[in-house]
Amino acid sequence: MSRLTKIVLIGLILFPFAFLLMLSLGRQWPYPVLLPEQWSLSNWQVVLGGSEGLGNSVLLSVLLSLSVATLSTGLSFWVSRHIAYHPKREAWLSLAYFPYVFAPVILAACLQFFFIVGGLYGTFGGVLLAQLFITFPYGVIFFSSFWNERLRSMEELVKTLGGSTRQAYAKVLVPVAKGALMTCFFQLFLISWFEYGLTNLIGVGKVPTLTLRVFQYVNEANVFLAALASCLLIMPPVILLWLNRQVVFQERNI
Amino acid sequence: MLEIKQISKQFRGEAVLRDLSFTLQQHEMLSILGRSGSGKTTLLKVLAGLEAADSGTVLLEGKDLSQKPANQRGIVYLYQEALLFPHLNVFENIAFGLRLRKVPEMEVRRKVGHLLERLQLPEQSTKMPEQLSGGQRQRVAFGRALVIEPQVLLLDEPFGALDTETRRSMQQLLKRVAKDLGLTAIFVTHDLKEAMLMGDRLGMMDGGQLKIYGNRAEFIADEQTGALEEARFWTDLQSIKLTK
Repeated sequence: MSRLTKIVLIGLILFPFAFLLMLSLGRQWPYPVLLPEQWSLSNWQVVLGGSEGLGNSVLLSVLLSLSVATLSTGLSFWVSRHIAYHPKREAWLSLAYFPYVFAPVILAACLQFFFIVGGLYGTFGGVLLAQLFITFPYGVIFFSSFWNERLRSMEELVKTLGGSTRQAYAKVLVPVAKGALMTCFFQLFLISWFEYGLTNLIGVGKVPTLTLRVFQYVNEANVFLAALASCLLIMPPVILLWLNRQVVFQERNI
Repeated sequence: MLEIKQISKQFRGEAVLRDLSFTLQQHEMLSILGRSGSGKTTLLKVLAGLEAADSGTVLLEGKDLSQKPANQRGIVYLYQEALLFPHLNVFENIAFGLRLRKVPEMEVRRKVGHLLERLQLPEQSTKMPEQLSGGQRQRVAFGRALVIEPQVLLLDEPFGALDTETRRSMQQLLKRVAKDLGLTAIFVTHDLKEAMLMGDRLGMMDGGQLKIYGNRAEFIADEQTGALEEARFWTDLQSIKLTK
């Protein structure tokens, strides 16, 4: 690949991000002017000052996605192991596909009644639980191909060497699965981070995640704030992607 | 002493172990010869506590192990594959059982160092499993089992995946280590010569039933073991060579 092709490709990849950043710094951009007429940090100051509540939305989204990704990665890792070695493995695994038979919003509509009765409607806990309905089965499906006879034998070996089930997890299964756990965590974080339908329906606007904010600004035709919110929306996944890459490369170098 | 009394086990209605009874004396290695599907792996897994028997008892030094979980039996089960933990180096793989028991660091270093010497692995101690040859991996697996001084060692075709030359040297090494450390072990294999080489006593497993022979001559004399057929083959081959 020639140097010029590389530059063009990198430019094409980076262009949407640079464009969003540029928009977030612009103030007036009447047609047909090529670039915004005024440049200002005021939109970013609004975020840092907290008057638009975007800062809170960032924190809320980070907290929600980290909780959802951590809970569903851990839980699906543990449950998928039991499913993988169960005599009726296929039947249990097919249940994991159930939430995907419906669209997430239809699933949310079906669950709405139970969330209202349970007092979870419009709460952080409610949205977290609703997202788990999507992320947990995804994790189970993700890990279903991870477990095999070799790992099972390793686990049995730990036991005959005197280890408990907890020690088998802590000292062998989790370290061996580190790469898979990181990848699953990253994917579940992204699912939660960009989730809109379920969060909107169960959260009823009371849990304003960053993704909801972007849609809100787009609906209001506030391009500059929408661009700014989009910049914020991209940042954590990019950091996580970088971290994930570091871990994967580190593992390959061992 | 390990006593096995009337052990039976079925899988989906099919008998895999049929009323097995035998004893294993301390510091004795029992070789069990058997074809694939004869039930030898199931027998070892029942003894290790990894499978539950449908009936029968397992006594170790007079104590019933039937209700004891695998991690409290003092019986280590070794697989055909070395199954080294890929995230740990050779030293830490061998030290694994000691780390589980929270043995002091000095003691860990002493014991592991001693085993590394005995298994001819001192230069490999910092290497990762993927940097080792098949024979070296199997030696590390032995070290990992031996370091916790198990009361009984169960070896399920441990040399099955090795080439002929490595297999021979590993057989000699295990024989020597077993004698030096006074191991009590059951060695199962489908290889006739290996069974005869490794065992102080010999047994033959077929269709879930185990026959233990009083001595080597009885084992050879039994047509079922295939020893006579093997001997005939080599005699015939010799006579063909001589006539030519």
